[in-house]
Formats: sequence, C-alpha cells, structure tokens
Amino acid sequence: MIQPQLAEFLQQGVGIYIGTRNALLEPNGARAIAARIEEDGARLIVYLADVAAERVLPDLHANGQAAVTFGRPVDERAVQVKGTFVAARAARDDEKPLLEAQWEGFTRQLEMIGVSREARSAWATWPATAIALKPTAIFEQTPGPSAGQQLA
Amino acid sequence: MTAPVTLESLASCFQGILPAHLFTCSSDGIPNAAYLSHVDYVDRRHVALSFQFFNKSRRNIAENPNALVLLPDPDTGQGWQLRLRYVRSETSGPLFDRMALRIEAIASYCGLKGIFRLRAADVYEVRAIEKVPEEIGLDCARLRIAAGAEANPVFTTIALQELAATINQADSLDALVDGILRGLDENFGFRHSAILVPAEEPGVLVTIATRGYADNGAGAEVRFGEGIAGMVAEARQPIRISGLVRGMLYALAMHRDAAQGAAAPQRRIPMPGLPNPESQLGVPLVLRGELVGVLCLESEVAYRFHEEDKASIELLGSYLAIAMQNMQLSERSVEASEPAPPPLEHAPVLGRREIVYYTADESIFVDGEYLIRSLPARILWRLLTLRQTSGRAEFTNRELRADKSLNLPEWKDNLESRLLLLRRRLEQKTPDLRLVPRARGRFALELSCEVMLKSV
Repeated sequence: MIQPQLAEFLQQGVGIYIGTRNALLEPNGARAIAARIEEDGARLIVYLADVAAERVLPDLHANGQAAVTFGRPVDERAVQVKGTFVAARAARDDEKPLLEAQWEGFTRQLEMIGVSREARSAWATWPATAIALKPTAIFEQTPGPSAGQQLA
Repeated sequence: MTAPVTLESLASCFQGILPAHLFTCSSDGIPNAAYLSHVDYVDRRHVALSFQFFNKSRRNIAENPNALVLLPDPDTGQGWQLRLRYVRSETSGPLFDRMALRIEAIASYCGLKGIFRLRAADVYEVRAIEKVPEEIGLDCARLRIAAGAEANPVFTTIALQELAATINQADSLDALVDGILRGLDENFGFRHSAILVPAEEPGVLVTIATRGYADNGAGAEVRFGEGIAGMVAEARQPIRISGLVRGMLYALAMHRDAAQGAAAPQRRIPMPGLPNPESQLGVPLVLRGELVGVLCLESEVAYRFHEEDKASIELLGSYLAIAMQNMQLSERSVEASEPAPPPLEHAPVLGRREIVYYTADESIFVDGEYLIRSLPARILWRLLTLRQTSGRAEFTNRELRADKSLNLPEWKDNLESRLLLLRRRLEQKTPDLRLVPRARGRFALELSCEVMLKSV
C-alpha cells in the first residue's frame, strides 16, 4: 500500500523508470512519463510513451514482475516500488493533462539542476500506455548506505 | 543502413554528468531498477560500473550476471541502452584507480574523503548498444548553443587562437596568468577559474591567480589529494565531475551525520570557490613530466564542461605549462638594468599596523590576523626589515635571489610566482602594504601606514 505522503512524492513530476525481465532473467527497462496512485494506494498506474511500453509489455504479460523507481533530481530523493502487473491500456485523452503536468514538473526540476529543457524537447511522451500494477513492496533508494531499506 | 554504434562514440556518456539507470534481476525473477553514479569506458567491448555499496543490484549480479543500463548523453539528450553481462570485479589497477579518483575527487570536495569509497570497478561485457526510442537526442551543436556554450569547432579554434595571442603578448608572469584566466572567461565563457602552483612544501599547491570570485584567494593552499585541484595534482590527469554525483554525497552526508565541519585552521587562507559548483574541470599543467601547476574551472551549470572542452583545455594545459615555465625563466634572466623610474611620492600615512613574524612556522600575522606563510612570508619579512634598517623602498628580484637569508632553492626557486602571490595577498588583506612593480625585475614596497615589526 502506498501511503498518501509517498503518493504525493510519486505524483509530483519526478524521473520514473520501470524495470522488467524476460524468461531468461534478462532485464528490460524504459522511461515512464507520469504516475497515478489509485484505490487508496493499492494501485499504481505508470504511463509510458508507446515506444517505451513496447519494450516492457511482453515481459509484463509473460511474468508480471515489475520494479519502478522514482527519483527527484534536485535532492536525489529516490524510492523503488515493486509490483505485479494488473492490466495495460492506451492512455486516454482526458489523462493527457496529468501526463503533461508531471512531465513539466520533471523538466522544471532538471532545469533547476542545469539540464536544458531543449535536451528533452524531442523525447517521446505521447501517445502513451497506462500500465496498472499492484504494489507489493516499497524501498528507500536515495543514494547512500540506507538505500535498499524497506519502507512498506 | 547505418553503421553499428560503438562505445567510443558514446564518450560523453561516460563522465557521470547525468546519472544512469541500472536494471538487474534476482535469481528468483524479481527485477530491480536503481540509479547508478558511474559508467566508465574500459575498451571497445567492456564498460565498468562503480560498486560503492552492497545493495540489491550488487546482490542480483552475484546471482544473475545479466544487466541493462540506460545511459543519457548529456550533450545531446539521446538515451542509450546497453545490454550487459557481468565479467569480473577489479579492486586495483588503472581502471580502478581512474574510477576511484573521480569518486574521491567529489568526496574530498565535500570533506568526505575515504567514506564514499569505491569498493570495486565491476567490468561488464557490452552485448548490445541501442538507442532508447523514447529518449531522442538533438543535434549537439544546437543544444550547446541553447545551453550558452559555444560548440562550433571553428569558434573553438578561434577562441584558442585568441587565448594563444593573449599568452604571447604577456610580458610578466602576472600578465600571463591573468591573461589565461581572462581569456578562458572571454573566449570560452568559463567565468570561475584558478591557477595553483606547487608550493615549497612537497605535496602542497598554492593559489597564485583566480578569476570570478569575491576574494582573490592568493596564497590559499591545497594538499595533494584534497578537492579537485589536489586530486588533479596527485593523479596528473584531467578530472571532469558533475554536481549530480555530488548530490549523492550530500545525501550520504545527511545519512551519516558525518562529524565534519570542524573550525577551519587559523593559519589558512580559504580557497575561493562557488558555494554550489555543479560542474568542475581540473587540468594538470605538466611540462616534461614536471607538474608546473593546476588549472581549475567551475560552473554553477550542471553539465557545463563537455568532452570537447576537456580535450581543448587539456591541450591548452600543455601550452600553459610551457608558457608559465618560459615566463619564469625569462623573468629570472632579467638583469633589472633598466633605470629605475623616479620614486613615488610618499603615500600619506594613515594608521599603524603591528606585523609579527613567527620564526617557528615562518608565518606573518598583521594586527593579529594571518597573512601568509613560508617563502612569501620570508620575502615580505626581509623586505620590511630592509626597508626599516636601510630606508630603501625599491628592490630587485636579482638581489632577493642572491640573498642567502631567504634560503631560496638553488634551482627553480619560483621567486616570481611567490612575489606574485604575495602582492595579491597583500592587495586582498592589507591594501596599505603594497608591492608595486616598477620595471621588469624591480619593484617597490609601498606603505601607507606606519609599521611595527616584531619577530617571535
């Protein structure tokens, strides 16, 4: 379960990556654009550009295992949520403002640490796929010795 | 059909400017995704990842050697995906030393040297390199112009030529070092910079020139291995680091609540620097195997120093080493035969200063505040006592060189660089004591205060 305070952090517009693996235990990974917490923290929806989703969906359909990291560029605060695959669908037009707002938040954070907006201007964000996961464990991942500590 | 991507073409990605992402998987099939501070180039088929903590990624690799790294190119924004297979861990040798050096440089800057250490350089075979399709890069030159940096190689060549012209026109060490830093600012846009030279004491650097800071920092000392300048001096290799990795150290500092921050030693001139340098570049100035100095640049912009900058500045470093060495030799050969200009009018005496020379550690304090130590202190003390006993205010480099009491090294005494830093330190700390150049190899000690000399 994702607590409200953590949900706020995950949905504020941070750097998001999703990791999966295939039957040979070879990892796959892709960048995500935004996240939404639903069902009082029992559901994590991760939005990926379609070109990114293509690389992880086969693994999710095959074995369902996922790891999602959320990292805030300005202070390096990072959290990893492990989860199992529930469903995937095309992101709806009414979800586009949420994706744009979180992506803008992330871009602004990158600007604060000196990474130009220009460098991200060609990145693919739409059309997108919404991937629903059931969170199973949450880990602290801010770099340093306490990274890896289980939060929930 | 496009040519396959080589690791060599991804040079910008291997600098730790932006963090990479590491994906691993445990033997029971649970994937893991984590930030990764350093990916380093090993050879055309291998990369090395820094191993600093016994974390989940490391445990997974021990069980299952397959890994995936997503690596951003800080210059273009293009993401790259490297499919990897763990091969071995190195805990010594050139690769380990290179990675450890970069990590130590950052750690040392934060006063955390030795805490955030590299345990191993983990070597991975690169099985495939692919573009990350959602992270599409832009043309490099276009991006750099947007970031305010000049990328056009023609411009860079012109900038180097202009800097070379400035260096060639310099007629003193003073004009040379200032010209170098001004040129780096005006031609390259590197606004904050410093030049340090080896001090008398082995393993110590001393600052002779800075640009872009409130204090000139002349005389500020740095031990080999301390901060970026000290690490560059120790390794005699250029180092380029970014603030993002430093962010990790801040995080660590908070975790550890490290017992740092002890009061600065009393006899120390603080090294000028930006409060939050996001990127730093240090280049050794080496001539025929001898360290002539270290040039340091820093910026508040996170990925300010590009691979091409490092290459240009490195090239410039050898040129600067030659120029500085030649200038010192040329100044040394000056006979100071030019007629001395008429003495200046006596400046009005404004107050009184107590100047104490501590023989035990060869340091000078003015009104109870630390001024300088070592050779520059011996020189100043000699000048002050000569001025008091003989009434003479003008001196020549040649007579100082012949003065046995100064105990100058016979060979490469670096007198000019010490006079330069002494002059700048006085400008900063006690402007009513001044060393004023009068002609090549000749200068005056001007006082606009009464001095009380005391040797302890």
